[in-house]
Amino acid sequence: MDAKPDGAAIATGADATPVIELRNIHKSFGALEVLKGIDLVAHKGDVTALIGSSGSGKSTLLRCINLLEVPQQGDIIFQGEAVRWKQRGYDRVPADIHQLRKIRTNLSMVFQQFNLWAHLTVLQNVTEAPVTVLGLDPAAAAERGRALLAKVGIGDKCDNYPAQLSGGQQQRAAIARALAMEPAAMLFDEPTSALDPELQGEVVRVIKALAEEGRTMLIVTHDMKMAHDVANHVIFIHKGVIEEEGSPAELFDRPRSARLQQFLAATGT
Amino acid sequence: MFEMCADPKVLAGLDWFACYLTTPKHFQFYFSFLVVLTLIFITAPIVLALGFLGAFARRAAFAPLRLVGHAYTSMVRGVPDIVFFLFVPIALDQALEYVRHRVLCPEVTEPVYRGNDFVVCAAAKLPLSSAPQWIHEVYGFVLAIIAFSVVFGAFAANTIDGALSAVPRAQLETARAYGMTERQTFRRIHLPQMWVYALPGLSNLWMILIKATPLLFLLGITDIVYWARELGGSKTSFFEYPHPDWRVWYFLALLAFYLLLTWLSEKGFAWLNVRVRRGQATIGAEVAGVGR
Repeated sequence: MDAKPDGAAIATGADATPVIELRNIHKSFGALEVLKGIDLVAHKGDVTALIGSSGSGKSTLLRCINLLEVPQQGDIIFQGEAVRWKQRGYDRVPADIHQLRKIRTNLSMVFQQFNLWAHLTVLQNVTEAPVTVLGLDPAAAAERGRALLAKVGIGDKCDNYPAQLSGGQQQRAAIARALAMEPAAMLFDEPTSALDPELQGEVVRVIKALAEEGRTMLIVTHDMKMAHDVANHVIFIHKGVIEEEGSPAELFDRPRSARLQQFLAATGT
Repeated sequence: MFEMCADPKVLAGLDWFACYLTTPKHFQFYFSFLVVLTLIFITAPIVLALGFLGAFARRAAFAPLRLVGHAYTSMVRGVPDIVFFLFVPIALDQALEYVRHRVLCPEVTEPVYRGNDFVVCAAAKLPLSSAPQWIHEVYGFVLAIIAFSVVFGAFAANTIDGALSAVPRAQLETARAYGMTERQTFRRIHLPQMWVYALPGLSNLWMILIKATPLLFLLGITDIVYWARELGGSKTSFFEYPHPDWRVWYFLALLAFYLLLTWLSEKGFAWLNVRVRRGQATIGAEVAGVGR
C-alpha cells in the first residue's frame, strides 16, 4: 500500500511547484496524431477548463495525465516529480509501478459515463478505493463516504446500486468517490456530457462548490457556461495543439484566434 | 435389518418389503447414491479450478501458455465425452504403472508392451494386488474424478474465459485509474462482475455433470445404474431374485433421484443468479427486482 504524501508536504513545498505540469506531450494512435506537443501547468487551487471540438484531443490529454494513455513523447511532472519511462515510442511505458500508483491515487478521475462499479452499492463505490488502495479502516472510510455522499446531496442513496440512480445522481456519486481519495487534483472528463440539461445543473453545482473550496481541478467539457463560471484558466485545443489560452474573460469575451471565434459561435456562446 | 425379518412367518405384505429393501445388497445400492453425490461435490470445485486455470492460460501474455490453454479446451471439447471417459482412466493407469515399473523394477528386462499385452511387475501394479478391496475401489473412483474434471474443466474454461471478456472495459479501467494493482482490479472488480456472465454456462455444466454420472458405470464403478439393473432384474449372473422383473421400478427411483437433484440445483442457481445480478443494469436484474 502506498501511503499518500501527507497534507503538510503539499501545503508547504508545493505553492511554487505546480501540481501538474505537462511538457511537449505527443500522442498518436497508429497513424493518427492526436496530441502534437501540449504544454500545461496547473498550480494548487487552479481550475483549468479544456475546451475544443470533438476529436480535438482534449480527453486524450486528460487521460495522459493519469497515464490511462501513455504519450509517446513529452514529460509529465506531478508535484515536481517527473514520470520515469522505459522503452521509447509506441513501447513507452511508465518504468516505476509505485510511482504510477502514487500518481493515480492522487489524481481522481470523474468519467463521462460515470463508471460506477455496478456490483457495489453507492457507499461501497465510495469506500472501495480508499480501503483497497490506501488501506483505510473500513469503518472510518464508510463514515467519510456517508459524509461525502451527503455533501453531494445523495446521502439517502448510500445503499442503492448505481443502476437505481438517475444519471445526475450517479455522477454526483462518482464525484464523491473521487473526493474520498483526498486527491491532490481532480480530473473531470466531460462530466456533464451524458446528462440531459436538467440533470447537468445538479452536477455543475457540485463542481462549482468544489472550485470554491480551492480544489485543483482539470475539466474537459463541452459546457461553455460551466467553463466560464467555474474555471480560472481556459485552454482551447484544436487539432492536438493549444490554439489559445487565458482567463475565461479573455477567452470567451475577447477571443483572438479565428478558430476559437468560430468554435464559440458554433457552440452558441 | 429388522429383528422380525429373522422370523420366516412374517414375510408377507409390507413387512416383506421392509425386510427385502434393507438387505445388505440394497445397502450397497443406497451407498452408491452417496458415491454419485460425492463424485459430483468433489468434481465440481476441481472443474471450477481447472476452468479458471484454463481461462487464465488462454488469456496469458506468454504465448506458449496461451497455446496450452487453447489446445486443452479445443482438444477436450472436440472429443466425445464417452471416448474421453474411457481413455483417461486407462491412459492414466498405464502411465502410472509404466513409470512405477521403470523405477521399482529395473531388473526386469522384458519390454512392458508384449504384443497386445501391457505387463508390469507385481510391485508396479496400481493398486498393489495385495491391497484391500476398498483401495481398489477408491483408486477407480479417483481416476473417474480426474476424467470428469478434465472434460468438464475444458468447458468451464471456455465459459469463464468468455465471462471474463464480457465485463465492460470501463469498469476495469476505472479501477486502475483509482490506483488498484492488476491483482486488486481482478479480485475486487473483474471477478465479482464476471459471475453474472459465467453463471448460465456454469449452471449448464453442473446439470450436465449430474446427468453424466451414470457414465461411472462405464469405468467399472458399481454405481446406481449398475445396482438398479442388478437388483431390479428377476435374475442376474449371480442370483435369482424372489420377484419378477422390477427394473422399471428401480429405474423410476433413479429418475426421481436425478429429477430431485436437478430441481434442487435449479433452486440453488436461481438464488445465486439473484445474488450475482445485484446492481447489474440488465433485464435479468429488473426481472429479479433490483433494477431501476
